[in-house]
Amino acid sequence: MKRLFRKPPRTPLLVALLVISWSCTARAQDPKIQLAHLDHLAAKATETVDINIDERLIQITAKLFKDSDIDEVQVKKLIQGLKGIYVKSFEFDSDNNYSAADIDSIRSQLREPQWSRLVNVTSKKDGNVEVYISLVGSQINGLTVLSAEPRELTVVNIVGPVDLEKLAQLEGNLGIPDLGIDPPKKKKNDDQ
Amino acid sequence: MKNSVTVKVATVLMLVSISVSVSQAVTDDFNSVVKMIEQYYNVKHEGLSFLEKTALKAVGVGAKVRGGQYRKYAEAGSIKLAMFEDQEFNGDFVKFRTSLNDALKDTWSPVVQTMSGKDEQNYIFVRDKGDKFVVLVISIEHREGTVVQATVAPKALALLMKDPEEGVKALREEATIDNQ
Repeated sequence: MKRLFRKPPRTPLLVALLVISWSCTARAQDPKIQLAHLDHLAAKATETVDINIDERLIQITAKLFKDSDIDEVQVKKLIQGLKGIYVKSFEFDSDNNYSAADIDSIRSQLREPQWSRLVNVTSKKDGNVEVYISLVGSQINGLTVLSAEPRELTVVNIVGPVDLEKLAQLEGNLGIPDLGIDPPKKKKNDDQ
Repeated sequence: MKNSVTVKVATVLMLVSISVSVSQAVTDDFNSVVKMIEQYYNVKHEGLSFLEKTALKAVGVGAKVRGGQYRKYAEAGSIKLAMFEDQEFNGDFVKFRTSLNDALKDTWSPVVQTMSGKDEQNYIFVRDKGDKFVVLVISIEHREGTVVQATVAPKALALLMKDPEEGVKALREEATIDNQ
Protein backbone atom coordinates (compact mmCIF):
# COMPACT_ATOMS: atom_id res chain seq x y z
CA MET A 1 0.00 0.00 0.00
CA LYS A 2 1.26 3.39 -0.95
CA ARG A 3 1.81 5.80 1.84
CA LEU A 4 0.09 9.06 1.10
CA PHE A 5 2.10 11.10 3.49
CA ARG A 6 5.75 10.28 3.55
CA LYS A 7 7.93 11.87 6.12
CA PRO A 8 10.57 14.06 4.48
CA PRO A 9 14.00 12.35 4.61
CA ARG A 10 15.98 13.59 7.57
CA THR A 11 19.44 12.58 6.43
CA PRO A 12 20.18 15.64 4.21
CA LEU A 13 19.01 17.96 6.98
CA LEU A 14 21.20 16.22 9.54
CA VAL A 15 24.18 16.31 7.19
CA ALA A 16 23.62 20.02 6.54
CA LEU A 17 23.40 20.73 10.27
CA LEU A 18 26.55 18.73 10.92
CA VAL A 19 28.44 20.57 8.16
CA ILE A 20 27.28 23.95 9.47
CA SER A 21 28.19 23.14 13.05
CA TRP A 22 31.57 21.68 11.97
CA SER A 23 32.40 24.75 9.89
CA CYS A 24 31.41 27.08 12.76
CA THR A 25 33.61 25.13 15.16
CA ALA A 26 36.47 25.02 12.69
CA ARG A 27 36.24 28.76 12.14
CA ALA A 28 36.08 29.44 15.85
CA GLN A 29 39.22 27.37 16.42
CA ASP A 30 41.19 28.58 13.42
CA PRO A 31 44.11 30.47 14.95
CA LYS A 32 44.91 32.33 11.73
CA ILE A 33 44.03 35.95 12.27
CA GLN A 34 43.23 38.64 9.72
CA LEU A 35 46.03 41.16 9.24
CA ALA A 36 45.06 42.77 5.93
CA HIS A 37 43.45 45.79 7.57
CA LEU A 38 46.92 46.93 8.68
CA ASP A 39 48.03 47.31 5.05
CA HIS A 40 47.15 51.00 4.97
CA LEU A 41 50.08 51.63 7.35
CA ALA A 42 52.52 50.82 4.54
CA ALA A 43 51.91 54.29 3.10
CA LYS A 44 53.34 55.90 6.25
CA ALA A 45 56.01 53.33 7.06
CA THR A 46 59.68 53.55 6.16
CA GLU A 47 60.05 49.77 6.26
CA THR A 48 57.32 47.22 5.62
CA VAL A 49 57.60 43.45 5.82
CA ASP A 50 54.77 41.11 4.87
CA ILE A 51 55.36 37.36 5.12
CA ASN A 52 52.85 34.61 4.25
CA ILE A 53 54.25 31.12 4.52
CA ASP A 54 51.78 28.26 4.40
CA GLU A 55 52.19 24.70 5.67
CA ARG A 56 53.58 23.28 2.43
CA LEU A 57 56.26 25.96 2.17
CA ILE A 58 57.18 25.48 5.84
CA GLN A 59 57.67 21.75 5.35
CA ILE A 60 59.80 22.34 2.25
CA THR A 61 61.94 24.88 4.09
CA ALA A 62 62.22 22.63 7.16
CA LYS A 63 64.09 20.06 5.08
CA LEU A 64 66.84 22.60 4.47
CA PHE A 65 67.81 22.99 8.11
CA LYS A 66 70.86 20.83 8.74
CA ASP A 67 70.75 17.87 11.10
CA SER A 68 74.42 18.41 11.89
CA ASP A 69 73.90 21.85 13.43
CA ILE A 70 72.33 21.86 16.92
CA ASP A 71 70.64 25.25 16.45
CA GLU A 72 69.24 24.28 13.06
CA VAL A 73 67.95 20.97 14.43
CA GLN A 74 66.05 22.91 17.11
CA VAL A 75 64.48 25.23 14.52
CA LYS A 76 63.64 22.28 12.29
CA LYS A 77 61.85 20.53 15.16
CA LEU A 78 59.98 23.72 16.00
CA ILE A 79 58.68 24.41 12.53
CA GLN A 80 57.93 20.87 11.40
CA GLY A 81 54.42 20.77 12.81
CA LEU A 82 53.48 24.35 11.90
CA LYS A 83 50.69 25.15 9.48
CA GLY A 84 51.43 28.78 8.76
CA ILE A 85 53.60 31.78 9.61
CA TYR A 86 52.21 35.23 8.94
CA VAL A 87 54.06 38.44 9.73
CA LYS A 88 53.29 42.09 9.25
CA SER A 89 55.81 44.63 10.44
CA PHE A 90 55.94 48.39 9.99
CA GLU A 91 58.69 50.80 10.97
CA PHE A 92 58.10 54.53 11.03
CA ASP A 93 60.41 57.53 11.18
CA SER A 94 58.27 59.31 13.80
CA ASP A 95 55.85 58.48 16.62
CA ASN A 96 52.05 58.16 16.43
CA ASN A 97 51.79 56.71 12.95
CA TYR A 98 49.44 53.95 13.92
CA SER A 99 46.26 54.30 15.95
CA ALA A 100 44.61 52.56 18.86
CA ALA A 101 42.05 51.32 16.34
CA ASP A 102 44.81 49.52 14.44
CA ILE A 103 45.84 47.72 17.63
CA ASP A 104 42.22 47.01 18.56
CA SER A 105 41.63 45.42 15.16
CA ILE A 106 44.14 42.77 16.17
CA ARG A 107 43.19 42.49 19.84
CA SER A 108 39.52 42.05 18.96
CA GLN A 109 40.41 38.79 17.21
CA LEU A 110 42.33 37.49 20.20
CA ARG A 111 39.42 37.05 22.57
CA GLU A 112 38.68 34.35 25.10
CA PRO A 113 37.77 31.53 25.23
CA GLN A 114 39.93 30.61 22.21
CA TRP A 115 42.78 33.00 22.94
CA SER A 116 44.55 33.62 26.25
CA ARG A 117 47.06 36.35 26.89
CA LEU A 118 50.24 35.20 28.57
CA VAL A 119 51.24 37.52 31.36
CA ASN A 120 54.54 35.85 32.20
CA VAL A 121 56.21 36.51 28.84
CA THR A 122 58.35 39.62 28.57
CA SER A 123 60.48 41.26 25.90
CA LYS A 124 63.86 42.94 26.00
CA LYS A 125 62.51 45.52 23.57
CA ASP A 126 60.89 48.84 24.49
CA GLY A 127 57.17 49.25 24.15
CA ASN A 128 54.32 46.88 24.66
CA VAL A 129 54.68 43.22 23.70
CA GLU A 130 51.64 41.00 24.10
CA VAL A 131 51.75 37.25 23.54
CA TYR A 132 48.53 35.30 23.02
CA ILE A 133 48.05 31.57 22.63
CA SER A 134 45.17 29.70 21.08
CA LEU A 135 44.24 26.46 22.80
CA VAL A 136 42.28 23.39 21.75
CA GLY A 137 41.82 21.49 24.96
CA SER A 138 45.24 21.71 26.57
CA GLN A 139 47.12 21.86 23.26
CA ILE A 140 48.46 25.11 21.81
CA ASN A 141 47.36 25.38 18.18
CA GLY A 142 48.38 28.97 17.53
CA LEU A 143 50.26 31.95 18.80
CA THR A 144 50.14 35.67 18.15
CA VAL A 145 52.70 38.25 19.18
CA LEU A 146 51.68 41.88 19.07
CA SER A 147 54.58 44.25 19.50
CA ALA A 148 53.70 47.93 19.63
CA GLU A 149 56.60 50.34 19.98
CA PRO A 150 56.37 54.08 19.40
CA ARG A 151 57.91 53.73 15.94
CA GLU A 152 57.28 50.11 15.13
CA LEU A 153 54.28 47.83 14.93
CA THR A 154 54.75 44.09 14.43
CA VAL A 155 52.25 41.27 14.44
CA VAL A 156 53.41 37.66 14.19
CA ASN A 157 50.76 34.96 13.82
CA ILE A 158 51.95 31.36 13.97
CA VAL A 159 49.42 28.64 13.21
CA GLY A 160 50.12 25.20 14.66
CA PRO A 161 51.65 23.76 17.82
CA VAL A 162 54.31 26.12 19.18
CA ASP A 163 56.73 25.34 21.97
CA LEU A 164 56.66 28.57 23.97
CA GLU A 165 59.96 27.94 25.68
CA LYS A 166 61.70 27.67 22.34
CA LEU A 167 59.85 30.54 20.66
CA ALA A 168 62.93 32.76 20.82
CA GLN A 169 64.77 30.30 18.56
CA LEU A 170 62.35 31.04 15.74
CA GLU A 171 63.28 34.73 15.74
CA GLY A 172 65.28 35.58 12.65
CA ASN A 173 64.03 32.51 10.78
CA LEU A 174 61.37 32.34 8.06
CA GLY A 175 60.72 36.06 8.22
CA ILE A 176 59.99 36.16 11.94
CA PRO A 177 61.59 39.35 13.24
CA ASP A 178 63.68 39.68 16.38
CA LEU A 179 61.08 40.36 19.05
CA GLY A 180 63.44 40.00 22.01
CA ILE A 181 61.03 37.62 23.70
CA ASP A 182 62.08 35.98 26.93
CA PRO A 183 60.58 32.53 27.37
CA PRO A 184 57.83 32.17 29.96
CA LYS A 185 59.23 32.04 33.46
CA LYS A 186 58.70 28.69 35.10
CA LYS A 187 57.16 28.55 38.55
CA LYS A 188 59.28 26.94 41.22
CA ASN A 189 56.87 24.00 41.44
CA ASP A 190 57.32 23.32 37.72
CA ASP A 191 61.01 22.64 38.18
CA GLN A 192 60.47 19.93 40.68
CA MET B 1 20.73 9.99 -26.76
CA LYS B 2 21.91 12.76 -29.09
CA ASN B 3 21.35 15.25 -26.32
CA SER B 4 23.53 13.31 -23.91
CA VAL B 5 26.40 13.16 -26.45
CA THR B 6 26.06 16.88 -27.12
CA VAL B 7 26.19 17.62 -23.39
CA LYS B 8 29.30 15.44 -22.97
CA VAL B 9 31.07 17.09 -25.91
CA ALA B 10 30.13 20.55 -24.63
CA THR B 11 31.42 19.66 -21.14
CA VAL B 12 34.73 18.38 -22.51
CA LEU B 13 35.13 21.48 -24.69
CA MET B 14 34.33 23.72 -21.74
CA LEU B 15 36.87 21.94 -19.51
CA VAL B 16 39.53 22.13 -22.23
CA SER B 17 38.89 25.81 -22.78
CA ILE B 18 39.04 26.48 -19.02
CA SER B 19 42.34 24.62 -18.62
CA VAL B 20 43.80 26.39 -21.67
CA SER B 21 42.74 29.79 -20.38
CA VAL B 22 44.14 29.07 -16.90
CA SER B 23 47.49 27.93 -18.28
CA GLN B 24 47.48 30.88 -20.69
CA ALA B 25 46.82 33.23 -17.77
CA VAL B 26 49.73 31.74 -15.81
CA THR B 27 52.07 31.95 -18.82
CA ASP B 28 51.05 35.52 -19.44
CA ASP B 29 51.47 36.70 -15.84
CA PHE B 30 55.14 37.50 -16.40
CA ASN B 31 54.30 39.69 -19.40
CA SER B 32 51.33 41.22 -17.58
CA VAL B 33 53.52 42.20 -14.64
CA VAL B 34 56.15 43.73 -16.94
CA LYS B 35 53.42 45.66 -18.76
CA MET B 36 51.88 46.73 -15.46
CA ILE B 37 55.21 48.15 -14.28
CA GLU B 38 55.70 49.92 -17.61
CA GLN B 39 52.27 51.48 -17.52
CA TYR B 40 52.21 52.36 -13.83
CA TYR B 41 55.68 53.90 -13.66
CA ASN B 42 55.90 55.01 -17.28
CA VAL B 43 59.14 53.09 -17.85
CA LYS B 44 60.38 50.62 -20.49
CA HIS B 45 62.15 47.33 -19.97
CA GLU B 46 65.39 46.70 -21.84
CA GLY B 47 67.61 43.91 -23.05
CA LEU B 48 71.13 43.56 -21.69
CA SER B 49 74.02 45.50 -23.18
CA PHE B 50 76.81 43.60 -24.89
CA LEU B 51 79.27 44.47 -22.11
CA GLU B 52 76.89 43.30 -19.38
CA LYS B 53 76.30 40.01 -21.20
CA THR B 54 80.04 39.48 -21.57
CA ALA B 55 80.71 40.34 -17.93
CA LEU B 56 77.96 38.07 -16.64
CA LYS B 57 79.04 35.25 -18.93
CA ALA B 58 82.54 35.58 -17.49
CA VAL B 59 81.09 35.30 -13.96
CA GLY B 60 79.19 32.16 -14.96
CA VAL B 61 82.17 30.57 -16.68
CA GLY B 62 84.35 31.49 -13.68
CA ALA B 63 81.95 29.74 -11.34
CA LYS B 64 81.89 26.64 -13.53
CA VAL B 65 85.70 26.58 -13.76
CA ARG B 66 85.91 26.75 -9.96
CA GLY B 67 84.12 23.43 -9.98
CA GLY B 68 80.90 24.56 -8.34
CA GLN B 69 77.50 24.16 -9.87
CA TYR B 70 76.78 27.71 -10.93
CA ARG B 71 73.06 27.27 -11.47
CA LYS B 72 71.78 27.18 -7.92
CA TYR B 73 68.11 28.05 -8.22
CA ALA B 74 66.41 27.83 -11.57
CA GLU B 75 65.80 24.80 -13.73
CA ALA B 76 67.61 25.04 -17.08
CA GLY B 77 65.78 27.08 -19.68
CA SER B 78 62.99 28.05 -17.35
CA ILE B 79 63.90 31.66 -16.66
CA LYS B 80 62.24 34.78 -17.99
CA LEU B 81 63.81 38.12 -17.23
CA ALA B 82 62.91 41.76 -17.76
CA MET B 83 65.17 44.56 -16.57
CA PHE B 84 64.53 48.23 -16.14
CA GLU B 85 67.68 50.31 -15.84
CA ASP B 86 68.41 53.96 -15.18
CA GLN B 87 64.76 54.96 -15.15
CA GLU B 88 62.65 56.86 -12.64
CA PHE B 89 60.20 54.76 -10.61
CA ASN B 90 58.04 57.55 -9.29
CA GLY B 91 54.60 56.60 -8.07
CA ASP B 92 52.54 55.55 -5.10
CA PHE B 93 54.03 52.15 -4.28
CA VAL B 94 51.14 51.17 -2.00
CA LYS B 95 48.73 51.51 -4.93
CA PHE B 96 51.13 49.59 -7.12
CA ARG B 97 51.35 46.82 -4.55
CA THR B 98 47.56 46.60 -4.34
CA SER B 99 47.24 46.42 -8.15
CA LEU B 100 49.95 43.78 -8.34
CA ASN B 101 48.36 41.61 -5.64
CA ASP B 102 44.93 41.98 -7.23
CA ALA B 103 46.31 40.92 -10.61
CA LEU B 104 48.09 37.84 -9.30
CA LYS B 105 45.86 36.68 -6.47
CA ASP B 106 44.04 33.97 -8.46
CA THR B 107 47.10 32.07 -9.63
CA TRP B 108 49.97 33.01 -7.30
CA SER B 109 50.60 33.01 -3.54
CA PRO B 110 52.34 36.09 -2.15
CA VAL B 111 55.10 34.78 0.11
CA VAL B 112 57.38 37.71 0.85
CA GLN B 113 56.68 41.38 0.28
CA THR B 114 59.00 44.07 1.59
CA MET B 115 59.10 47.80 1.12
CA SER B 116 61.91 50.00 2.24
CA GLY B 117 61.90 53.76 2.13
CA LYS B 118 59.64 55.16 -0.53
CA ASP B 119 61.23 53.51 -3.52
CA GLU B 120 62.42 49.98 -2.80
CA GLN B 121 60.02 47.10 -3.19
CA ASN B 122 60.58 43.34 -3.34
CA TYR B 123 57.95 40.71 -4.01
CA ILE B 124 58.19 36.94 -4.18
CA PHE B 125 55.15 35.08 -5.51
CA VAL B 126 54.99 31.29 -5.77
CA ARG B 127 52.76 28.76 -7.47
CA ASP B 128 52.84 24.95 -7.77
CA LYS B 129 54.06 23.21 -10.90
CA GLY B 130 53.78 19.49 -10.19
CA ASP B 131 56.66 18.57 -7.89
CA LYS B 132 58.35 21.93 -8.58
CA PHE B 133 57.44 25.56 -8.09
CA VAL B 134 57.35 28.63 -10.24
CA VAL B 135 58.59 31.78 -8.55
CA LEU B 136 57.91 35.27 -9.73
CA VAL B 137 60.29 37.81 -8.24
CA ILE B 138 59.70 41.52 -8.68
CA SER B 139 62.31 43.93 -7.42
CA ILE B 140 61.99 47.69 -7.84
CA GLU B 141 64.38 50.37 -6.62
CA HIS B 142 64.55 54.09 -7.24
CA ARG B 143 66.19 53.84 -10.66
CA GLU B 144 66.07 50.17 -11.58
CA GLY B 145 63.78 47.17 -11.57
CA THR B 146 63.84 43.47 -12.33
CA VAL B 147 61.15 40.89 -12.99
CA VAL B 148 62.26 37.25 -12.94
CA GLN B 149 60.08 34.20 -13.40
CA ALA B 150 61.68 30.79 -12.97
CA THR B 151 60.81 27.17 -12.31
CA VAL B 152 62.64 25.95 -9.22
CA ALA B 153 62.97 22.70 -7.30
CA PRO B 154 61.66 22.63 -3.70
CA LYS B 155 65.21 22.85 -2.34
CA ALA B 156 65.88 26.00 -4.35
CA LEU B 157 62.62 27.50 -3.15
CA ALA B 158 63.64 26.75 0.43
CA LEU B 159 66.98 28.47 -0.21
CA LEU B 160 65.18 31.45 -1.64
CA MET B 161 62.93 31.66 1.40
CA LYS B 162 65.81 31.31 3.82
CA ASP B 163 67.63 34.26 2.34
CA PRO B 164 65.33 36.11 -0.09
CA GLU B 165 67.76 38.97 -0.76
CA GLU B 166 70.64 36.71 -1.77
CA GLY B 167 68.28 34.42 -3.66
CA VAL B 168 66.86 37.24 -5.75
CA LYS B 169 70.38 38.40 -6.68
CA ALA B 170 71.41 34.87 -7.67
CA LEU B 171 68.23 34.34 -9.70
CA ARG B 172 68.87 37.57 -11.56
CA GLU B 173 72.40 36.49 -12.42
CA GLU B 174 71.21 33.09 -13.56
CA ALA B 175 68.51 34.74 -15.65
CA THR B 176 70.92 37.04 -17.43
CA ILE B 177 73.17 34.11 -18.35
CA ASP B 178 70.21 31.95 -19.34
CA ASN B 179 68.90 34.66 -21.66
CA GLN B 180 72.05 34.81 -23.78
